[in-house]
Amino acid sequence: MKPRDGARRLLGRSTPWRSEVLGVGTGPEATDETRFASQLASEDRAALAVLVSVQGLGPITLGRLLAAIGSPAAILSVANGPHGQRALVAAGVDRESPSRSMADAVAEAIVDAGRRRHEILDGIATLALRVVAVGDPDYPPRLLAIEIPPVALFVRGNIGSLSADHSVAVVGTRRPTEAGRRVASRIAASLARAGAVVVSGLAVGIDGAAHAAVITEQCPTIAFIGSGHNRLFPAAHDRLADAIIEAGGAIVSEYAPDTEPTKWTFPRRNRLISGAADAVVIVEAGAKSGALLTGSWALEQGRDCFVVPGSIDAQMSAGCLGFLRDWPGLVRVVSGIPQLLEDLGLTPSAAYATPLLPSTPTSNVRLPTTDSILGGLAPDERVVGSALLEGAVIVDEIVAVTGLSVGAVLGALTRLEAAGKLSASHGRYRLEGAWATRAPRRLARAPEPASERATPAA
Amino acid sequence: MLATLLSATLVALDGRVIRVEVDVAPGMPGFTIVGLADVGIREARERVRGALRNAGFVHPPRRITVNLAPADLPKTGTAADLAIAIGILVGSEQFTPRPGRAALIGELSLGGEVRTVPGLLPMVLALARRGVARIVVPADGAAEARLVGGVEILPAGSIPEAVDALRARPRSSPRQPDRVELAAAGVGDAPASGSVSVPTPNDGPDLADVRGHAEARRALEVALAGGHGLLLMGPPGTGKTLLARTIPSLQPALEDHEALTATIVASVSGEGPMVGLVRRAPYRAPHHTSSYAAMVGGGPALAPGEVTRADHGVLFLDELAEFSRDVLEALRQPLEDGRVTIVRARGAVTLPARFQLVAAMNPCPCGHAGGDDGACVCRPGVAEKYVGRISGPLRDRIDLWVGMPRIPARVMLTNVEPEPSAAVAARIAAARARQLARPGRALNARISGRMLRAAARLSPADQARLAAMSEVERLSGRGTERLLRVARTIADLAEADAVLAPHLDEAARWRAPAARPLNALAL
Repeated sequence: MKPRDGARRLLGRSTPWRSEVLGVGTGPEATDETRFASQLASEDRAALAVLVSVQGLGPITLGRLLAAIGSPAAILSVANGPHGQRALVAAGVDRESPSRSMADAVAEAIVDAGRRRHEILDGIATLALRVVAVGDPDYPPRLLAIEIPPVALFVRGNIGSLSADHSVAVVGTRRPTEAGRRVASRIAASLARAGAVVVSGLAVGIDGAAHAAVITEQCPTIAFIGSGHNRLFPAAHDRLADAIIEAGGAIVSEYAPDTEPTKWTFPRRNRLISGAADAVVIVEAGAKSGALLTGSWALEQGRDCFVVPGSIDAQMSAGCLGFLRDWPGLVRVVSGIPQLLEDLGLTPSAAYATPLLPSTPTSNVRLPTTDSILGGLAPDERVVGSALLEGAVIVDEIVAVTGLSVGAVLGALTRLEAAGKLSASHGRYRLEGAWATRAPRRLARAPEPASERATPAA
Repeated sequence: MLATLLSATLVALDGRVIRVEVDVAPGMPGFTIVGLADVGIREARERVRGALRNAGFVHPPRRITVNLAPADLPKTGTAADLAIAIGILVGSEQFTPRPGRAALIGELSLGGEVRTVPGLLPMVLALARRGVARIVVPADGAAEARLVGGVEILPAGSIPEAVDALRARPRSSPRQPDRVELAAAGVGDAPASGSVSVPTPNDGPDLADVRGHAEARRALEVALAGGHGLLLMGPPGTGKTLLARTIPSLQPALEDHEALTATIVASVSGEGPMVGLVRRAPYRAPHHTSSYAAMVGGGPALAPGEVTRADHGVLFLDELAEFSRDVLEALRQPLEDGRVTIVRARGAVTLPARFQLVAAMNPCPCGHAGGDDGACVCRPGVAEKYVGRISGPLRDRIDLWVGMPRIPARVMLTNVEPEPSAAVAARIAAARARQLARPGRALNARISGRMLRAAARLSPADQARLAAMSEVERLSGRGTERLLRVARTIADLAEADAVLAPHLDEAARWRAPAARPLNALAL
């Protein structure tokens, strides 16, 4: 897929946009409109938040209304005035191609939203969301530079993190392999330690692993979500979202709080993930993964794009390799974490990222010792933890390595899980947090016949 | 002339005594059966006519009327064939039986042979309880009938043999009608003639055949030890079904009263003729396309369904999420009360259904969720929805939720010999004995909440630990209690008098999937 085609197809248009959307960008009329935007009054910001909540009112129609009426607040007062709907329809006529004029239903929805403006604004206030509109001083500068910046952003958390000096997106499949998840964690943690804000999409899989690893480092990370703040998807990530806010990051949406997640909102959101970052790193992606779309956006927006290569047999590397093949010279390869940091112009601080390739010259990299990770644990948890560090995944392997009874292993797993060091899924156990950012060792020894059979007595 | 004989019919699992009145009168030759007889009985006319002729008797060319009393009880099956045939012989004065109450049970072939019928045991039991001294039964069902003590069993392989039996002098043994059931159970001092229990060979797999799956094996042991509901979740081909099929090799033998019920159910279900009491605990594995009636019981003859056939045993539902919603909903009452009620226009029948639920399912429609291979092709959220098909009441009966991962070859190929069933079964039996010795005399899965808390003997620290677990996990009161039940069983397996922290921790491993994971950052 060519990035430009992809972008066009998504947004469905091939005419120049910039001039139409609030005059932002590099279009000829930009200067006039930006003047308006830089003086954005608070009632205009509130009115914009209301207008963005209107179903079916896209940036183009909104731009046309603004050109015809003046300001967002003025649009709402026209809507609430006499014959509001008719006046809006008249203002929304597209003279060049009348078939694209604003529909009556949309005008009606604007009138309705105008009536409910207090209710809508109260909803936003209840969620403690900040509305940042194009032209506000703290509107993220990177997003201003993309082709279609969102008219307004709904931000929960630290808005300053959006304007950080360094920002890198880490994205990938929702169904990663263990190895992919681990690589995502390590890359994200290393980027955070090197001072970059990590951007991702709060999805399960690679996105979630990246966010979680940054939180473990107590660093800010930004999640662009493909739905409204009231419709967090997946809902199971609400604790992760809370943790992002606690760690000084932000959850950002261009959709009004009650917008449902749909098939279309996510790909559209992807342009913000790449747009808010200096570079995009795709960790694992299947052949049709949405992460590739983020990569396409990155190329279109002039961001660097990196993929983590994998075996040609690996399903979850097919997308990465295909992307690399489609864009030789544009897409780059992550050959190791220090190398990635170097390519991004970041200084590996005290980063203890382990090299992906053993031959890479990274002798000054510090590795956490097993003791530093396992210190302070009770004996059973310690041996079970070290078995997991050695690469054991299922109980059979842990029992074989530790010689503990099955019951004792299961109890220790529960305690590790409660301590936040482990997660379990369908009988498979994996390390979380700081543990996960450590490269796995090979299972040191083959499971040997346990001399004493595992007895049920704990 | 009028002849009156006794026979029996079945209402669900109960035998009912019926009187067979045969009137052979002059008039137009004819043969009528009255008394709420079903099709099977009305067809007896043809069988009896053929059987009498071919056995060398005369089917009298007279007006024959058969009345089955009590007339308001619907009668089913073919057990009255023999009584009707003998009634015609007596009514037409072809022979005279010895005086005294005698009953006859058996189906006839056209050649005059007597065949056994489903439910012979409860029918004999009902007749014996009514004080009937001598019962003619099909020769091939004699062993089953002799499970009932205190009554003279006269086996007959054909009509002439039945006639001979009724002519013979009764065995002069004092009847002990109050001991009838005791004898049936093979206990007490009343002699139960015939063999009491017959070991049935277990042809299913042994735990020694299951490699890997340490966690699931342990969960199965805990579940069987405490009677807990168990759900195995894992991708296709990991061995969920194989593991479940080892259950018969692990179940303890049935107690006497359980064995009697099991034998009656087996007899009524047509597994007979029974040669002894069924001591092996039932293991039923109905297919997921099973109908409502197959699961709950019913049909014109009120046949016991799978839930009843699994009474005191295990009901294994493979591909749980594929069962129809109606069928799963029908499991509610049996899971809660240990009984199932079939309501009919003529009234309700309640059957025992005290089974332990074991189920298996894939984690998602494609089956591969949770694996490392990224093979799952389901959209996000679909797996949760799939598991969500298991409705609340069913969830509440599943104490152990166990993930069965694909076992990597390096584990499969180790030369660790898996523990055989016999060793595990011994631990299960010992743990059950501990539970049944406690006040309440029930398995941990069924003991009352009050008894459970008393039996748990939690220290204040462990009490707080349990409270913290349920707090973090947002467990309901019932969920917390389930955790404690499983922990109590783990303690029983460890021969511990009190539930300790390690037992709670292990039990928590198999808690139901929460809306949110225990670890806030677990993804």
